Amino acid sequence: MRHFYRNIPAVLVLGIPFVWVVLFMLIPYGVIATYSFWEKKYPVFIPAFQWGNYQMLLADPQYIKVLLRTAKISILVSIASFLIAYPFAYYLVYRCRSARVRTWLYMAVVAPLWISYLLRAYVWKTILGTEGVLNSFLIWTGLVDTPSPIFLYNQFSMVVTLTYIFIPFMVMPIYTALEKIPKNLIEASADLGLGPWRTLMKVTLPMSLPGVVAGFTLTFCLSFGDFVAPFLVGGPDGNLIANVITTQFGSALNWPLGSALSIVMLIVVLTIISLSDRFERRGTAGGH
Amino acid sequence: MKIGERTSIYAALLGMLLSSGTAHAEGTLNLLTWEGYADPSYVTQFEKETGCKVNATYVGSNDDFAPKLMAGGGVYDLITPSLDTTKLMIDLDLVEPIDTAKIAEWNNIYPNLRALENIRKGDDVYGMPYTWGAIIMMYRTDAFKTPPTSISDLWNPELKGKISIWDDKSSIYLAARKNGDMNIYNLSDEQIAAARKALEEQKPLVRKYWTTAGELVDLYKSGEIVLSNTWAGNMASILKREGIPMTEFIPKEGAEGWVDIWMMVKGTPNTDCAYKYLNMQLSAVGQCAISQINTNSVANPVAAKTCMTPERFAELHQDDPTYLDKLMVWQSLGDRYEAYANAWNAVKAQ
Repeated sequence: MRHFYRNIPAVLVLGIPFVWVVLFMLIPYGVIATYSFWEKKYPVFIPAFQWGNYQMLLADPQYIKVLLRTAKISILVSIASFLIAYPFAYYLVYRCRSARVRTWLYMAVVAPLWISYLLRAYVWKTILGTEGVLNSFLIWTGLVDTPSPIFLYNQFSMVVTLTYIFIPFMVMPIYTALEKIPKNLIEASADLGLGPWRTLMKVTLPMSLPGVVAGFTLTFCLSFGDFVAPFLVGGPDGNLIANVITTQFGSALNWPLGSALSIVMLIVVLTIISLSDRFERRGTAGGH
Repeated sequence: MKIGERTSIYAALLGMLLSSGTAHAEGTLNLLTWEGYADPSYVTQFEKETGCKVNATYVGSNDDFAPKLMAGGGVYDLITPSLDTTKLMIDLDLVEPIDTAKIAEWNNIYPNLRALENIRKGDDVYGMPYTWGAIIMMYRTDAFKTPPTSISDLWNPELKGKISIWDDKSSIYLAARKNGDMNIYNLSDEQIAAARKALEEQKPLVRKYWTTAGELVDLYKSGEIVLSNTWAGNMASILKREGIPMTEFIPKEGAEGWVDIWMMVKGTPNTDCAYKYLNMQLSAVGQCAISQINTNSVANPVAAKTCMTPERFAELHQDDPTYLDKLMVWQSLGDRYEAYANAWNAVKAQ
């Protein structure tokens, strides 16, 4: 008995992660994986072991099409986030002299994360709509005479909304990566005669690459699984893979096919995470 | 062999997970229903009089009932699927028979509604008809010089970006009628494929597929669209109250009809409260309220007469029970359901 009590800390330390992994990863994924081999049969579906659902995903072009579209949107979101986040983080770390201003600006990026996701997506509907804020502004400035419908209910509005929602996940790792670069390296680069632009390209950017990769991975994977933006601001051509999965578990009542899709999605995301992990490790190994 | 074993273990685990979710609460009625079917205007009084508390969760489509009940275990006590979904509920064993003797005004329901095949199995009755109506079209009156008259107007290229249709498998019914296929609940694979093709052609014209009554109202209010299909009476009356000029019309290709049915979820411990709710809903209180809130026609003409003017009674076609027979009333698709749902999903995936 005393032996047992002495071991409680060890049991907790090992046991909690173990239970966590079993309860929140192995069992749910196991259930999904099992379902993916079941068979749809009116009124619901029956246990089976067959590859029909996976074959269907390959045979019916609609699924590949949606997967590719989802990948395209996610890449666009990652690129847009990067283009905005990098200069922003760069400014915070290198140009912003006041610590107070820096904290405020950093908080301005992070704070929206505390606001309901749904609300943040909804806001863009009122901004981009035909009678929305953006159109009213354009008419006020005289740039256009009639409100334009081109801003909402299409892939553009989805990329804008998702970029806005996920950009903190790009800013944070880049900021951290930039902050870690020793300042004297930048000075050394300047002393050796490199201008600010070449210092950025040759020293700062390569050294912050792990942060950039982490940012890309996060924004890509989060966008890849999103289904609220297509629902709220996406148009008829805005169906993403998560929406298709929702439909299969919902109205189509085809959990097996939905599960097969989820497994495919999981494989895509895990592949990207492991690739980025490998890249980051190589990056740190090469950098020192 | 190994795989078989593993599968059965998972299946057992799954069964455990699914069956352990019973969370019925006694004295609290949980409804899974349409907007308006648990309106505070009469629910508050019901709660006061009976001591039964009412919680409502709203659905956007008939396709929501089965997944919610299957995934959530026994949270809900009463549901209101439409007539095309009632048979699925019975086949899925999600609902239990209703004792019509406990429903005071049962015999006041239109005989053709009481006789509906899809609410029965063997000698048992599984549903109480509640309201009914048509799925028609509507447009912003100020946007048209020549009013639209046909489903084909939803394919008019001049209205590009200004139309919306319901995000529901019933889009297939709509497109099939446009193609001249009137046997909409019995379409062949070729006919479904043709409907799918028509919907894919229509896609560039669509601003957004609407999912809930509220969303469709918003789309008109924010000036996004001018023409759509709609639940007769419901959204147009909301929009008119907001000052937006709307006109509803039955397209020349005819309209679909729906009947909403109260059903009791299998194993509910709240049968007392449930029967009280059903009785209230079929009485003048419930029938009059719903005809005013959602502008639906109702199932109990005796109750409807107590609150409607003769004009209103005629307007809602309450005086003509055969009107419903003229509509193409939704039917269960049985094992063809998947072909319809798949075609619609394929359109959305395009």
